Amino acid sequence: MKRQRDKEETSSDEIISDNIDVDTEDISDEDIEGTISSAMSDCETFDQKEAQVQYEIGANGYPRQIWPEIDPIYESDTSTEEPVNTVGNIPMEWYDDYPHIGYDINGKKIMKPATSDELDKFLNNMEDPDSWLCVKDVLSQQNVKLSEEELEIIRRIQMGAFPDPNYDPYEPTIEWFTSKPEVMPLNATPEPKRRFVPSKWEAKRIMKIVRAIRQGRIVLGKTQTPKPRYYSLWTDNDKPREEHIMQIPAPKIKLPEHDESYNPPAEYLPTDKEKEEWEKMDPEDREKNYLPQKYPCLRAVPAYGRFIQDRFNRCLDLYLAPRMRRNKLNIDPESLLPKLPNPKDLQPFPTSITLSYDAHKGRVREFSIDPSGIWLLSGSDDKTIRMWEITTGRCVKTWDMDEIVHSVAWCPNKDICAFAVAISNKVIIISPPAVCDDETTNLTAQYVASGFNTEKNVEWIKPSTEQGDGFLVIVQHAHNKVIKQITWHRKGDYFATVAPDAGNQGILIHQLSRHQTQQPFRRTKGMVQRVMFHPIKPLFFVATQTFVRIYNLVKQELVKTLQSGVKWISSLDIHSMGDNIIIGSYDKRLCWFDLDLSSRPYKALRFHSKAIRSVAFHKRLPLFASCSDDGTIQIFHGMVYNDLLQNPLIVPVKILKAGHEVVNNLGVLHCEFHPTQPWIISSGADHSLKLWT
Amino acid sequence: MGKIKLKGKAGAATNYIKRNQALKKLQLSLADFRRICILKGIYPREPKNKKKANKGSTAPTTLYYTKDIQYLAHEPVLKKFREHKSFVKKLNRALGKQQLSIAKSLEKNKPVYTLDHIIKERYPTFTDALRDLDDALCMLFLFATLPSTDKIKSETVANCQRLSLEFLHYVIRSHSLRKVFLSIKGIYYQIEIKGQTITWLVPYQFSQQVPDDVDFRVMLTFLEFYQTFVGFVNFKLYTDMNLVYPPKLDISKDDGAAGLNAIIIEVTNFSLATSQVNADKQLEGGALSLEKSSQTINSEERLKTLPKKLAEIKNKDEHAASEITPDSVDNAETEEALMDDFMDQTPVPPTSQEQDVLMQTFTYRDIHSASVALSEFENLFSKCIFYLSREVPRYSLEFIIRAFGGQVGWDATLGVGSPFTESDERITHHIIDRPIIKNQFLARVYVQPQWVYDCINARKLLKTKQYRPGHELPPHMSPFVEHKEGDYEPEMENDFEGMVEETSARSKEQHNQAENDDKDNDADVNEDGSDDDEDDDDDDIDSDDSVNEEEPAVPVLDHDSDYVENETDNEDMVYQMELEAEAAGTPFAKYKENKAKQISDGKFNNSSSSKPRAESGKKRTSKEIEEQEIKELAKIMMTKKQKRLYSKMQYGKKKQEEKVLNLKRKREEINQQKKNAVPISVKDGKKRK
Repeated sequence: MKRQRDKEETSSDEIISDNIDVDTEDISDEDIEGTISSAMSDCETFDQKEAQVQYEIGANGYPRQIWPEIDPIYESDTSTEEPVNTVGNIPMEWYDDYPHIGYDINGKKIMKPATSDELDKFLNNMEDPDSWLCVKDVLSQQNVKLSEEELEIIRRIQMGAFPDPNYDPYEPTIEWFTSKPEVMPLNATPEPKRRFVPSKWEAKRIMKIVRAIRQGRIVLGKTQTPKPRYYSLWTDNDKPREEHIMQIPAPKIKLPEHDESYNPPAEYLPTDKEKEEWEKMDPEDREKNYLPQKYPCLRAVPAYGRFIQDRFNRCLDLYLAPRMRRNKLNIDPESLLPKLPNPKDLQPFPTSITLSYDAHKGRVREFSIDPSGIWLLSGSDDKTIRMWEITTGRCVKTWDMDEIVHSVAWCPNKDICAFAVAISNKVIIISPPAVCDDETTNLTAQYVASGFNTEKNVEWIKPSTEQGDGFLVIVQHAHNKVIKQITWHRKGDYFATVAPDAGNQGILIHQLSRHQTQQPFRRTKGMVQRVMFHPIKPLFFVATQTFVRIYNLVKQELVKTLQSGVKWISSLDIHSMGDNIIIGSYDKRLCWFDLDLSSRPYKALRFHSKAIRSVAFHKRLPLFASCSDDGTIQIFHGMVYNDLLQNPLIVPVKILKAGHEVVNNLGVLHCEFHPTQPWIISSGADHSLKLWT
Repeated sequence: MGKIKLKGKAGAATNYIKRNQALKKLQLSLADFRRICILKGIYPREPKNKKKANKGSTAPTTLYYTKDIQYLAHEPVLKKFREHKSFVKKLNRALGKQQLSIAKSLEKNKPVYTLDHIIKERYPTFTDALRDLDDALCMLFLFATLPSTDKIKSETVANCQRLSLEFLHYVIRSHSLRKVFLSIKGIYYQIEIKGQTITWLVPYQFSQQVPDDVDFRVMLTFLEFYQTFVGFVNFKLYTDMNLVYPPKLDISKDDGAAGLNAIIIEVTNFSLATSQVNADKQLEGGALSLEKSSQTINSEERLKTLPKKLAEIKNKDEHAASEITPDSVDNAETEEALMDDFMDQTPVPPTSQEQDVLMQTFTYRDIHSASVALSEFENLFSKCIFYLSREVPRYSLEFIIRAFGGQVGWDATLGVGSPFTESDERITHHIIDRPIIKNQFLARVYVQPQWVYDCINARKLLKTKQYRPGHELPPHMSPFVEHKEGDYEPEMENDFEGMVEETSARSKEQHNQAENDDKDNDADVNEDGSDDDEDDDDDDIDSDDSVNEEEPAVPVLDHDSDYVENETDNEDMVYQMELEAEAAGTPFAKYKENKAKQISDGKFNNSSSSKPRAESGKKRTSKEIEEQEIKELAKIMMTKKQKRLYSKMQYGKKKQEEKVLNLKRKREEINQQKKNAVPISVKDGKKRK
């Protein structure tokens, strides 16, 4: 039974081996053929293969190429011996229950070989002297006899030596890369294999191109016919671009003027001085980038050296210069001037200097004209008061004082012939002798000689005759600050004094008939510059540095505060109607307030080049004036209408120049209109007074 | 409550974008940004309020309009720029690896961009394009004269030359040249196409010094755009005139520096083409290089009858008010004829002057006379045949003469293609720029080149007397200056020329007929009075003298002779006047007195007129003072803003006045010098006698 089996086994073995043999023969034949053919030429094989191509009708009804099967040409002979188990390195006990032990390369089962039992094995071992050389191959389940070389390997491993007897562990190292860094590093590595095999990716790319050519995407040998470079870009029905504010076309180049001519008129040629100036200037500052030149004939004209630069600058301008739309005012400058009535139609007003009153030796700070308009009283820094006859310029009388005269003021009451003078902290009431008739003189004396009280703030003193000619009363203030201003109430009984530095005693109102003094304000806000009585109503105007406050003296309350908007008020005057006031300021401004309109200026004018010293209204005519440190007096026509709807009309009518000299930056210090005539009198730092008619 | 508005989220803050922001947004290098800005015509803006646009800072920054930048982002040319960048990288890599075939194929498939769409975008209508042509032409004409360097390719220069020549040909054919000006920088030309005036500057033909301080990348980017631009404009202009574009280039002529003649203009229309062939055949003997279309022939025919008609028109205009014309029937007929004529006329783009006329109420006759005047002006030189001596600038003179219908020939050294030689008998004007002339031809007038330019600017043929070779030329004025009130106006000394001496043998007959009319007209037109007439007579006699008395072709070798000739002119004049005085029977002393007076009156008219003004400037009248005062008073009532504006204006005005005053002063000085010099020369003349 065993034998039989064995036979069977061997026979089957034979059969298999036969088969294999046949295979190998076939292959070798092919191989030989292949090598020969490849040696002959590649084309032939291709042709042969072409020839072997068969056609058959495909599914779509068209013939379909059927290429011959490719024969892989295996050159190794190891594979030819027996079917190789392809199961790989797996535990073979998985196949214990199956009749096969794995699969060959074609996927066919490899049947388990017949195995011998233990007795057979033993007998075998006994019989066969080489049985100890056998090892069981797990994959094929057969005993394999180890060869001499394999035995040698095993032996060497057992010895702990290298399996390969030829291996030299101590052979000299080959330096593929030099250990020393070199400038041009050399590399001795053997060329890698990929250098010798055709590139897969290249093949892919080529196939891509081949496919594109087959499909007609790439046409070889085709020359592109050039399109016409220019064609009709514009037609007749092009729509123009809509105007847009941000679309700013570049300005065109300025066209040349006469002076750019090669042969300009002689007057356009620059003089040597102009040439020099031009050359000195920075090229960017030059108005024109060329100098006019004259050539006798066209032949003599040279090339212009900066042509390319000019063009380049233009290019830069075109793409680099920021553009903006600038509205050019194309108006006649004269049209900006306001249309004013002709001053000739607004006469009378003072136009020219007629008289000069020169006797003072110091600057004339203030003067006053008597209500009848005959006498002029001036107080000066030379500590004198002089009385002049206005029309003749004759100095009628002089009073010598001990201090600088800061203010003089005639009493507006025509029945009383007296004036007040402010000297340091005193106010002196003087009745000029030999000016008024006896009757008025007596009346004045009676009017004044009532009390001589001593009060908290003020002492009313009766002067002795030695103190001065015509002195009636001396009002000695308790404070010892300088009184800067005296202003009379229209009736001539009250007068107010201003001493800006005297704190709450700065403003005092005195009553001449009773010799009484009131202190209207317990406290003053800011430094008081000027005060004034309203010509009609019981109102009192107080000008501090920036505000004008109006108080009602009867109700004892603040009526209004005018915001002037100037920095430092210097002067103040009230229109005879009482509804309009003007103020002058040290910051050159003149403000007109209409009390009916607002507490802000109706008109603020700035025309003097230096500080305004004084402003004045004419008592009867629609005139007002301002005088300034720049030595000029400005006359305005200031018409105030009774109609409430009509705003006042202000027209400048005359600038009176060249009267007063400017001394130490002081020009005209005071100006005042004549009470009846259209005349103005001014006093200046040049020690004189002038009459303008 | 509305939405809270955040600062910097609307208005000027978002309307403007800084350059660096723009670069970042577009992901461009500065150089590419510059190029795209130039090509697309995008420019920085100056915002009304810099603080608002620049986050409260007033530091100098370049701000662009945000929408401009947004609009740039979609520009196809930008894509090409990027492609080009990668192409350059690839090419460099291929070249570095010595893969020449790859480099070659890369080069073959190089990304190219066209600017056609940008041109259409920037100039939606043709008028827009014409409006912006100035800079383009300036640039092209400059680069046409530049030498090719490493930066400037020779092809670019050749293309510029070609485009500029094509454009000049159009100007010649369309007769659209209006003004020319010889400046120290170059020659300005002003043309008028479709109501748009285009001015450009051409440098004198010298080899240009290429400066170092100029960034040619910028210039070349501009040039790139302008080349395409002018190409399209040329195409449109040519096709509008039924001409073939691009015209062919005669290479043999081009090599011989033929300039304008190297380009062969062809007419597209078949019928026109045949007529042109005929015309060419006719002109072969006449050697007219300019091919005449039927249009020009028509206009010439019209021109032949022009002087007569003009005279009629003038007469009518003058006498219409006062007289009733006796032959009203005739008049009506002529008017009809005129009407027909006018209808025939090709529509002419209105000039600026004409537009002014159109603004007012105008009559049919106004239009007609204006259009006649224009067509006459366009054919100013149609009866003249010029010959250019070798030292004159042919490139300019040939162009302007042909643009005004003249014929021109030149010396062989100036280039090939001259239609006739110097000895041609038909030549009426010989343009020469030398003081000495050997072998003068008597049948022609010798003039300096400035005469041609001055004639064009004066819109009429001027007297050639002042322009004779060797003479001191009258000043060449800029035709572009428009005199406003208060500007300085230099004196003009030119007069209208009756074209009497210039008649060529060909047109003598016709001219004689016209002469009488002309004379009449002269008397009417020139209101200077007797002086002028005398002058005319003098001139006639003078020229007669020169024809009769002088030996023909006298070789003048002496340099001084030029001076002598000058003197003889003067002498002749003096002699003539003396003769007249003798005939009138005035004693010599009196004659002398008169003459001195005449000189002072006539020649120094200007000085005398300006003198009283100067005097008056010194002594102001009381009225003036008063006015001044009133002004000063009015100034008081102005607001601060107005005052400032007023003072600014006054400043500008004062500056202008100073300039004018300076010029006047100089003129007076010069006149004074002349006055001092004149008596001496007169004395000299006497001595010679």
